[in-house]
Order: sequence, then structure tokens, then C-alpha cells
Amino acid sequence: MSKRKQIAIYGKGGIGKSTTTSNLSAALSDLNYSVMQIGCDPKNDSTTTLRKGKPIPTVMDTVRSGSNKLDNLVFEGYNGVHCVEAGGPEPGVGCAGRGIIAAIELLDNNGIIDDIDPDIVIYDVLGDVVCGGFAIPIRQGIAEQVYTVTSSDYMAIYAVNNLFKGILKYSGSGGALLGGIIGNSISKISQKEMITDFSEKTETNVIEFVPRSSTVTKCELDGVTTIEGAPDSEQAEVYRQLARNVINNKDSYIPKPFEAQDLADWAASWINNLLKEEKIEHDGIRSGSGEGI
Amino acid sequence: MVENNLETAKETAVTDPSIHVIEAPRYSCALAGVYGTVLGLYDAVPLLHSGAGCGVGQLFGLLYGGGQNAGGDFGGTATPCSCLVEEHVIFGGENKLGNLVDSSIDLLNAELFVVISGCVPSLIGDDVDAVVGEFKDKAPVLHINAPGFKANSYEGYELFFEGLADQLLTEKPVKKGKVNILGVVPYQHIFWKGELKAIKDLLASIEIDANIIFTEYDTLEKLNDIPAAEYNVVVSPWNGHRAAKKLEDKFGTPFISFPGVPVGPKQTSEFLRELSKALNTYSDKVEKVIGKEERRSYRLLEYPGDAIILVRPHSYFAVAADSSTAVSLTKFLTNEIGYLPDIIQITDNPPEEFREAIVREITENLETGYSPDIIFEVDSHKIRENFKDRPFLFLFGSSLEGPIAMSDFGALSVTVAFPSYNRMVLVDNYVGYDGGARLVEHVVTTFAGPL
Repeated sequence: MSKRKQIAIYGKGGIGKSTTTSNLSAALSDLNYSVMQIGCDPKNDSTTTLRKGKPIPTVMDTVRSGSNKLDNLVFEGYNGVHCVEAGGPEPGVGCAGRGIIAAIELLDNNGIIDDIDPDIVIYDVLGDVVCGGFAIPIRQGIAEQVYTVTSSDYMAIYAVNNLFKGILKYSGSGGALLGGIIGNSISKISQKEMITDFSEKTETNVIEFVPRSSTVTKCELDGVTTIEGAPDSEQAEVYRQLARNVINNKDSYIPKPFEAQDLADWAASWINNLLKEEKIEHDGIRSGSGEGI
Repeated sequence: MVENNLETAKETAVTDPSIHVIEAPRYSCALAGVYGTVLGLYDAVPLLHSGAGCGVGQLFGLLYGGGQNAGGDFGGTATPCSCLVEEHVIFGGENKLGNLVDSSIDLLNAELFVVISGCVPSLIGDDVDAVVGEFKDKAPVLHINAPGFKANSYEGYELFFEGLADQLLTEKPVKKGKVNILGVVPYQHIFWKGELKAIKDLLASIEIDANIIFTEYDTLEKLNDIPAAEYNVVVSPWNGHRAAKKLEDKFGTPFISFPGVPVGPKQTSEFLRELSKALNTYSDKVEKVIGKEERRSYRLLEYPGDAIILVRPHSYFAVAADSSTAVSLTKFLTNEIGYLPDIIQITDNPPEEFREAIVREITENLETGYSPDIIFEVDSHKIRENFKDRPFLFLFGSSLEGPIAMSDFGALSVTVAFPSYNRMVLVDNYVGYDGGARLVEHVVTTFAGPL
């Protein structure tokens, strides 16, 4: 690769962001790319499945210890993926957003990413864009493409819409643009349709749908990615396809987020559809998705 | 609907200086107000839970501006501060604060410790109450949450008293004839030290025992005695009102408010009469004191008579000062010296609900047919603009106007309000029977001589 590709992955907490990101990193490394994954979440559990379930010391741990030793911030994971965790304060104290800013500044100012010179850097960022700190990876000069992971849950889409507002805000000043939506935990056709419709209404695109799968859960419990734990599974192929799509995706969008009330109105119509579908299923009539667990 | 919202937004932008850019406001932030207030208490230590710049900034911005004063034993660079840096922003500053409180209590010989939380701990949500709570057995220690962005320094004074009432004070048997004096904000009212002592001495002359709280020793005793007052006496049109309301709610102490500190014989006599009537101590004895003092002070005011009447009679004057100072000086200069109020600019941004009363207090109590323009303005640029092309010969303002008063407005000036970088104030003040005479000294000195 001539130019380093830097992407950020956002999405509501618990939606499968770190799972998707780690599988994406693993799949990219299988495609012979040098990958660095930077977890931007004070829980510092972004890269654990790349490290056989073992946590790593965080950038913030180093800051806190007052150590000037910056050679123990990057740890090797599955197939040579470079793993970094920004880290942050204990729950309920301090400011996690400032922690992310400080960690990224530290990595940047000390040339840590440049020294390793990966082909691809992936920032896995906590939940919603709740404050300026969590918007740092999408601001000028860090990530250039943003992907967002969402299910068809209203609150997950709501978080995506908020992220779009953040991207829109920084788009005029050289910030990252949207690479696409990754639909996750998909088990029904109507869920796909809902996410697709959202992408059309916001003038964006869906780069991949990742079905709900027990293989993912099983591998996570074993402390590994699906790519590592079940390389021959259908699910692993989905992640590999996602990786190829990300590599080939040269498009970037300035999204057109919904206003809050418009989003609620839009979601209401879709949720009725989903409920109707569930009812049909419950009454013994199979839905037409053909996909599922 | 949308139009209405726009209308409301526009109105807010015009009336609320806190949301649009202004040049040199004459007050600082909430933290500064609490800081100045605590420094006004002798043997009380402010502990700043903030970045290092907050304290140093207030040394220059509040203390020096308040009559070129330093901060005393625990002010300025002697103020303990948690000096928060990025590490504390990310991980919280509670541990560092705990160490600071602990060592301050060990090292400093003081009666009271007041932790003042600034912007950083408020933004990141440090549980400062819990930290401070651990030291309550070791020393009297309070926590006042005062993020700078929440309020201005005048409101910081109120925050201190609200916190004090909730955290330290307990009910006390009421002592007859005892009052607390509220509404003189240390440093923001540049004559605070002299004014408080003058009020105390005045009230002593009619046997009212005034607890002036600040500028005296035995601070803890003075503070604990606050609920023992028969009345809280507020000497400002808005400062100290929230504090007095809090004390009324909590301890049932009624309060009586005056529109400013009493300046000169008329205001002072009225102050003594009204207060003694409220306390049911009004008697011939009070009138005797008033009669004697009026006779003495009006005889004294004969001396500058020639200078005023022959050299600068019936001069127009302008004011740029906080509400309390503006009200009292305007009334004295108009009603007792015969000067003409041209334009009064109120610079302390009083809350909306107090403004009408401030205007009424000035316009309805002037013994002249001439009514001044009264403008509430905090922007120093606009204040200067408002002073242009006016007939006034004297300007009673701050050091922001003093040096340019003659060149820009053709006026002689006396610094009477914050900031006062060009006038050191220790005991000077204009309160009481002699206070009026003192103001006349300063007015005449601007044009008398040189040979």
C-alpha cells in the first residue's frame, strides 16, 4: 500500500463494535496487510480477542505511572496485528474523553504509529460521540474514513445518526468522512431493509451486513476472533468479505443526518413492520429472510 | 412558533452579557468570588481545587483590581492549590485534593479551611464532598462548588454563605440587638474593609452590635454567631440578598435591606432610624446621636463650600460603578452637594429582577428636577461609548476610565469602583457622617491647586 489507510469504527456500546473491529483486523492481516488496532475505550477490551483473551497495559496506564518508557505501548496480537489500548479512568471518575485525546496525542507526538508504519490503522471508539474527546479520531489528520456498526435497534441507529452529526460538523475542516455502515446482528430481511432505508435516507451506504451468529459468541468465549477460532466458518468469510470491501472502498460520504423528531417518525414506521414480522413468525409462519441463527 | 423562538433568542443575546463577547467586564468568575470572600475572613484558608492559573489569575484579576491589595496570609501565591494537570483531568483529582487538605490542616495555623472547586473538578465530576467529609473531624472544613463558568464573582459571595449555612452553621439562641452585615463583597467592593468597620462603629453608637464577619479575628466564632443575629442587614440592592434569604429559610432570621452603604449625613441618619425601628430600639437616644453627628458633619462640610460653589458649582457628573456604590454616591452627590447626575452606568450585571428597584432607588430619591440616564452595561467599550459627548465634568468610575477621563470625556475622575488599579484602598471609604466629607475631599482634590 502506498498510503496508510486510517479508519475509525464507531457505534453504540454493546452493538458488537469491538468484535467486528477485531475480526476485521484479523481478516486484513490474513490478506497480508500490516494492521494496527487502537482501542479508544476506557474499558480497554477492544483487542482482547486478538490476544487470546489477555488484556494489555494501556497508554493511560503509562501516563499515570509517570513513565517515559514508550516502548511498551504496542503489543503483538493474532498474525502480527499491532494492538494498542488507549485506556482511561475507572468508571465514575475523571474524564474518559480527555483520556482519549491524551492517548492519541501521545501516540502521534512520539511517532509511535510512524515507527511501526502499518498499512492500516483502525481506531475502535467507544459508543456514542458523547463529547469532543470521542470525536478526536474523526477530526483533522487522524482517521480519514469512518465506519459505523449498528443493529436495527432504534437506539443503535439513533447513535449512528448522532455520529453522522459529528461527521457533518467536522467535514468542512478536513475531518473524516463516512466510509459506510456495517449492519450487525442481522437475522431478518426486514432488519436489512430498515438499515438500508436508513442509509438511503441519510445518503450513505451499507458496506456489509454481518449476520447474527453463535460461532462469534463461542469464539469470543474462547478469547479469540472468529477468523482465528473458526476460519472455515461462513461467518469468517463474511468478515473476510468485509475486509476486502473496506480495502476497496474509496468512497467517502458527508452524511445527511435526520433531525431528532424526523428520526423518531421514520423509526416508528419501521418498528411496526418489524413487530408485524415477529408476530407472523410467532404464529408459526416463517419469515422470508432465510437467515438466522 | 419558530419566529417566537428566534425573538426570544435575540432578546436573550441583548440582555445577557454572559453569552456574548464583552471587553473587560468588572467582575470575575464564581471561583474568584468565593476566593475573595474567604480571603476576607481572617485566619481562614481558601484551598483551590483547580488549575494553578486560577489562583494566580485572581491575584491579578481580583485582588490587585480590588484596590491594589494583596491577599493576606493565605492569599495570592500563598494559597494552597491542587494545581490540577492533565493526569487529574483524566483520572480524577480526588487523591491529590485529599493530600492537599490533609497537609494544609497539618501545616497551617488557621481556624477554617474552605475547599473551592473550580471548573476542572466540576466538569469531570470529582466527588469533592466525599473527600472533604473525611476531614470534618480534624478541622472545620467546608466545600464550596464554584465552577467559574457557573456564575460571576458577585454570585460567588452568595455561594459561600449558602455553603456555610448548610455545612457549618447551627441554630443559636437569638441575641437581642445583634445583627449581621451582608452585601459588602470583599475585593469587588473596593472599600469593603473600611466600609464594614465604619458600619460597625456607626451601629455601635446606637448600641447595635454588628457582626461584620470579615476583617476581624476569631473568624470561626463570628461565623458560628451568624444564626444568633436578630436581623440580617443587607447593604446592597442585590448582593447578599441570596445569602440573607438562605439564613432566613434556615434559621428564621429576618432581613432588612438598604439600597447601598449609607454615604453622608442624610443616608446615614435614615439608615440608623430605619434599622433601630426594625429592631425596636428607636428612641430619643438614637435621635440624640443623629442630631449630634449631623450638626458636626454639616459644620465640617462648610469648609469645602467655597471650593465647590466658587470653582465647580452644580457640576454634571457621571458614574460607572457597581449597583451599591452607584446608588449611594449618586444620592449623596445630588442631594447633599447639589451636583447634577448626568449618566449612571451600572457595571455589576445585577439579575433582571433587581434592576427596576435599582433604577427606582436612584430616580425617586433625588432632590433635583434632573433625572439621569441609567444604563446597565458591563462591556467596557460600550461604557466608554456611552460616556462620549456628554456634559459631565466629574467621572466616578474605575481605573478603566480614570486615566482617559480627561482626554476622552473632558472630566476629572475619582476611582470609586472595581477595578481599582490606580488607587490603593486600605481604610478609605465613604460610609457614614464622615464618609460624605471624605468623598468631598477627593472630589475637590481633583481640581484644587496646584499652588
